[in-house]
Amino acid sequence: MSDGPKKAISKITKGFAKHGYICSDQISTAVYLASELEKPILIEGPPGVGKTELANTAAMYFKKELIRLQCYEGLDESKALYEWRYGKQLLYTQILKEQMQEVLEGAKGLKESLGRLMKFEDIFFSEDFLETRPLLKALTSDKGSVLLIDEVDKSDEEFEALLLEILSEFQISIPELGVRKAKVKPLVMLTSNNSREIGDALKRRCLHLYIPFPEAKLERQIVQARVPEISESMQIQLVNFVQGIRELDLKKQPAISETIDWAKTLILLNSEELDAKLAEETLNILLKHQQDIEVVKKEIPALISSATETSDGKSIN
Amino acid sequence: MEKVLTDFVKALRNSNVRVSPAETLDAMSVIDEVGYDDRELLKRSLSIVLPKTPDEKKKFEICFDDFFTDEIKEQVPVALKELKDIEDVKSDLAKTLLEGSQAELMLSIADAAEASEIREIKYFTQRSVFTRRILEKMGVGKLEDELMQIGSLREEDIPTDLEQELRNQLTGLRERVSDYVQQQFLLHGDVSGEQLREQVFKSMNMAQIDRSYLHEVHSLVRRMAKKLANLHSRRKKNYRRGKLDIRKTIRENWVNQGVLFNLSWSYKKVDRPKIYVICDVSGSVGAYARFMLMFLFSLTEVVSKLRAFVFSSNLGEVTDEFKDSNLDSAIESALQKYGGGSTDYGQALTDFVSLCIDEIDKKTTVVILGDARNNFGPEKAHLMKIINERSKQVFWLNPEGKYRWDTGDSVMTTYSAYCTKVFQCGNIDQLERVVSTLLKTAI
Repeated sequence: MSDGPKKAISKITKGFAKHGYICSDQISTAVYLASELEKPILIEGPPGVGKTELANTAAMYFKKELIRLQCYEGLDESKALYEWRYGKQLLYTQILKEQMQEVLEGAKGLKESLGRLMKFEDIFFSEDFLETRPLLKALTSDKGSVLLIDEVDKSDEEFEALLLEILSEFQISIPELGVRKAKVKPLVMLTSNNSREIGDALKRRCLHLYIPFPEAKLERQIVQARVPEISESMQIQLVNFVQGIRELDLKKQPAISETIDWAKTLILLNSEELDAKLAEETLNILLKHQQDIEVVKKEIPALISSATETSDGKSIN
Repeated sequence: MEKVLTDFVKALRNSNVRVSPAETLDAMSVIDEVGYDDRELLKRSLSIVLPKTPDEKKKFEICFDDFFTDEIKEQVPVALKELKDIEDVKSDLAKTLLEGSQAELMLSIADAAEASEIREIKYFTQRSVFTRRILEKMGVGKLEDELMQIGSLREEDIPTDLEQELRNQLTGLRERVSDYVQQQFLLHGDVSGEQLREQVFKSMNMAQIDRSYLHEVHSLVRRMAKKLANLHSRRKKNYRRGKLDIRKTIRENWVNQGVLFNLSWSYKKVDRPKIYVICDVSGSVGAYARFMLMFLFSLTEVVSKLRAFVFSSNLGEVTDEFKDSNLDSAIESALQKYGGGSTDYGQALTDFVSLCIDEIDKKTTVVILGDARNNFGPEKAHLMKIINERSKQVFWLNPEGKYRWDTGDSVMTTYSAYCTKVFQCGNIDQLERVVSTLLKTAI
């Protein structure tokens, strides 16, 4: 086969990098396949590795509108799909009442009035009174869109079932109006933190991308892209330090977002070199549990020495 | 080419990656997109379509590497040298090797494999047996004899071109057959041996499961617990819908001029069950306690209030240790701290009652795991009576076979008088059944 897909994939990687999102080959392959096969992607991974950000960047890259649906327990179709504008419908019935007089004027008997009533155009359930919610909005968008269904694991199982029709057929059945098909199929991304196992039916309809914590090289690139003002030696030390922390047995591992926050903090403090004191004082940015901080505190000297050592080794090379 | 994919999917399924037909179709369209040429790209692309959990991704990677190795080797053509004395070769295999095409050779391997019933391959260790059998069926024996003959006929020590070529071809053939067998093993065999092991574990007496398998048993137990949790969390939801909440309905519909468009329901509060587990961790029952605790702590999704106590003579609470640290070390430390001593049920019950009898109410299920072997000490059955009266139900799980109850120092009957139900619970299958009953009645 031709080099087509390979080129397209590296184009995506570069395009995403332009928007400040450094992605591994795995991620860009997933985005490529999702847009080619027109299938939704389910993105899983520990919190803070850039799942939501991926959708944001994809929207910027494809120059499409980002429609976001945040899931939570108790989310139902009236908030996710569509809702009738009850207030307007009420007003409509009142206008109807007044109009009724004219329509029925001169009608003799119940049968004739009923006949006239039947001929009367009814718009009670029509597009006019339909309030579109994110999912329907994504389908009706003319230019196509990127639909982000965030943290789908937080929703109920019933909601998951609701998504099935949209994800496989890109259509929604509204009982009063019939089936609405997508004009342009949106690029759908679902994210999950795995607080609950996603059902097989949903998984089967999606491509599945798992974003792990990045390797040192990739993480350095990410820090470089996000915090460009950081010095190279500092950036290497910082990433090595974080990578070292991830080896420890912790309640919550520091993610990329925490690494970036930490890098920003260190810049703010005008520090050039990573030392034990500095690390200890700013550890609470990296770790969010007191227990974890205690664990890491003990390891700081070892972590620092190995972080600076490897960075020295790199600079010689 | 489609056959390659379907075979690969079959191999994946065999190593416990669940792949549905719909996903196979997806994989096909992915391959249409990316092609077979770039192995890395193919791997990356398929890993997005076929495996759907991190665990499955790991298995996929191993399986992919195993499966697509000889695909590449096959494409390397073997140069056929022009040999003068090619007519001298007598055995069939030698002729195929020297003259036949690659396809013919593959075909004859496949035929020989069929004849040696390769489909029956089940275990990792059988691969060499099958390789030898296939080679024999293909007539390697005759070829080797012939090589010996050629060797003995020649005058100098340097082997002739023909001999050298034949030997090279033979080595190639051996490799090829062993690759073929490997591939067939991936297709037909129980690749990780998991299915077999699991079956054995389930019906094996828990005390006899070797410690080195603990990790695998743990994952098995967790899966069973997950199944149960799914089952019961669904059931609970149905209970939730309550009556019409009129106040809330009116308040919500105020915007509609009081016309009741949206109905609000009052939800019943779901009572999460409280389960108190008391485990005997003395020498005789320690192994069972391990699995019992493993199972229960995998159920935290459904059971929010679980408290665990262990004893051999004195009783202590271990709930926090189990919640915080990982299960293996928690179990180890619990067994070390409390385990190993001689059993004293009377003392343990006294401790339990003084520790938390006030917290036991009509929603609480008390589960006791032990063999009721009391070393002829005081039974203090009246404490069991108190526990029984205050709680919703008391389950007793005895790992010993029923025929051994009440023999020697066992006082099962005395205690069982105060239990709602008594189960025999010696292997993981039985344990699953018991926990299922527990969840059914506790909620």
